[in-house]
Amino acid sequence: MRRLIWSVIVALTASPVAAQNTVKIGQIEAQTGANAIYGYMSSQGLALAVDQVNKAGGFKVGEKTYTVELIASDTRGDPKEASIQLKRLLETDQAKFVFGPFLSNVFVTIDPYAKQFNGKFLLMGGATRIHDFLGTPEHDFLIRTWNWDAGPKGFGNLMVDRLVKETGAKKVAMLFQNDQGGKVLVDIYTPLFKEKGIETQLELFEPGTKDFSAVLAKLAAGKPDLLFPSYSDAHLYDIVRQATEGNYFRKFFLVRGSLGPGLKNKDEIDDYFVYVPKYFEQAEKTDQKVAKFIADYKAFYKRDFPYDQAPLCSSSCYDHLFMLIEAMKKAGSVDDVARIRKELLAMTYDGLWKIRFDEKGEEIFNFDVVRMKRGGQISVTSVDTQ
Amino acid sequence: MLQLLVGQTLNGVIVGTLYGIIALGVTLTFGITGIVNFALGEFMMIGAYVTWYLFDVAGLPYPVAIFPATAIAAGCGFVADQLLFRFTRNNLINGLLVSIGLISIIEAAALLLWTTTPKDMGYVLSGAVRLGGVSVPKMKLVVFALLAAVMFLTYAALSRTWIGRAAYAYSQNPEAAMLMGVRTEVLQSGVVVYSTALAGFGGALYASLYSLEPAMGGLYILKGIEAAILGGIGSLIGALAGGIILGVTEAVGSIYLPGAFRDAYGLIFVVAILLYQPSGLFGAER
Repeated sequence: MRRLIWSVIVALTASPVAAQNTVKIGQIEAQTGANAIYGYMSSQGLALAVDQVNKAGGFKVGEKTYTVELIASDTRGDPKEASIQLKRLLETDQAKFVFGPFLSNVFVTIDPYAKQFNGKFLLMGGATRIHDFLGTPEHDFLIRTWNWDAGPKGFGNLMVDRLVKETGAKKVAMLFQNDQGGKVLVDIYTPLFKEKGIETQLELFEPGTKDFSAVLAKLAAGKPDLLFPSYSDAHLYDIVRQATEGNYFRKFFLVRGSLGPGLKNKDEIDDYFVYVPKYFEQAEKTDQKVAKFIADYKAFYKRDFPYDQAPLCSSSCYDHLFMLIEAMKKAGSVDDVARIRKELLAMTYDGLWKIRFDEKGEEIFNFDVVRMKRGGQISVTSVDTQ
Repeated sequence: MLQLLVGQTLNGVIVGTLYGIIALGVTLTFGITGIVNFALGEFMMIGAYVTWYLFDVAGLPYPVAIFPATAIAAGCGFVADQLLFRFTRNNLINGLLVSIGLISIIEAAALLLWTTTPKDMGYVLSGAVRLGGVSVPKMKLVVFALLAAVMFLTYAALSRTWIGRAAYAYSQNPEAAMLMGVRTEVLQSGVVVYSTALAGFGGALYASLYSLEPAMGGLYILKGIEAAILGGIGSLIGALAGGIILGVTEAVGSIYLPGAFRDAYGLIFVVAILLYQPSGLFGAER
């Protein structure tokens, strides 16, 4: 009886110590939904990384060993849902590190709330709109985990350059969603095209649209050289199909979305020029880290590897957990977010991608440009931005 | 420009028949049961997903997959009628509330089964037909032909068969119809089931053209109701005409005005027509 009482006392007094040895990582991404391409793979990759860290016994910072507790919520791409989840993470779960969001409309909704916690946590998200807030007052909590489109090393800038050189395009039709994500792409690419002497036409559509015939016909009447559509596969499958079936467009230029819609219509497409953070089908054969990641994924999830979605693991995903842990080790702390952020911004990490951050906290990583011609002939160009 | 106009008019007619099949379900249900079934869009979604599953996952040929998809939608409609709608006959508010509640239930079930990530069915019939300078996808022509045929057959059945005459009689004077031996309970349940079958059939054809999401039904029920009101509640030809007019207005409107507000053009047209003809284009004056 006395032994039992002592065991209880030891267990009760031991609990607070055990709780301190856990680092909570929150995640607010669209795991399902129309925009799940921006969130599904991040959630898959991060969960795999957490499992690997914990199975290896955790990680050591100072004298203590820590495990990772992942609190991942499916926002379905809904800004309201993301706000609720973020509030729970910061106020109830006391998480100091949050991965996501990848969607701009989600980020602009949560930002007013998040900045109240400036200096108390780090938000590492890939949303394009985050770029506009990096380095601004009350936004030290922000790190953007994706390449920026514009600027001399921007992937969009490099792709537009290649487009002009390789296709001689003079006029581009842009067809984007009438939301934050679509509008930020308009803001970025209209001046980029103008700089290169390319004329643009723009049409916006409401999210949820399925029949694009009217806007495609309207854009095609302007006789542009190619179509620059949307950012979400949910719309791209319909747009590319209807564009080719209606004989409106057979050449496409994409800086978001996957190769999937192109492959599905490969016999009807003349040229499909797409930014792919990594062309996994090829990288698997040439890069051991990628091959291991794919094998680990299959073993962990017991299903086929999603090659078409995997490129989006370039944001707030597998590599980023290991970067964060390394930053904690260098900072000698798991909760001094300012020091951890400083270490993150100072490092270059060589994982699935070679990643570093610029002085404002925006990620720079190497990427692929994939070009698919009629019949599915694919050529891949790897761009090293380091 | 003329080519653009002709092409989009054709496209609007085809898309309008999808609106029209839902409008037909709305008008039939309202005429016989006295309620507006807002959940018809969800039965369309059921038909679409079942078709996708049978064609893409189970590997059935598409013409075969349509029949069980329509039957399952109709079966769900029968269950909904027996458990819910039969208690709301001729009570517009209760029927509305029940059908709105049913939307949440069906959508939640779809989310559990298939998540919100869109499903893109394999192509049934790819390629397009050139009509003058206009390309019309072959599958859209097939969808149009099938929907129009079903709507005309429905009209023919209602105007030339005993059950059709019974339905008209009931819609004009329920008590008299009952006295004449019309089994009203059977008639009402039959109409609910048939309207959900129409929606399921529409969904099966929709799946051959567009990607699927659990929330897809919401847009189509709104369009269906708009079309039914525009054509005149109670008019079967009005349902088809209303759908086509709505589809053409949206398509042609998008040529001249920003495509982002496409949904508004049809609505503005509906309001404009109702100001001059409150009972709709083919509706009877009361």
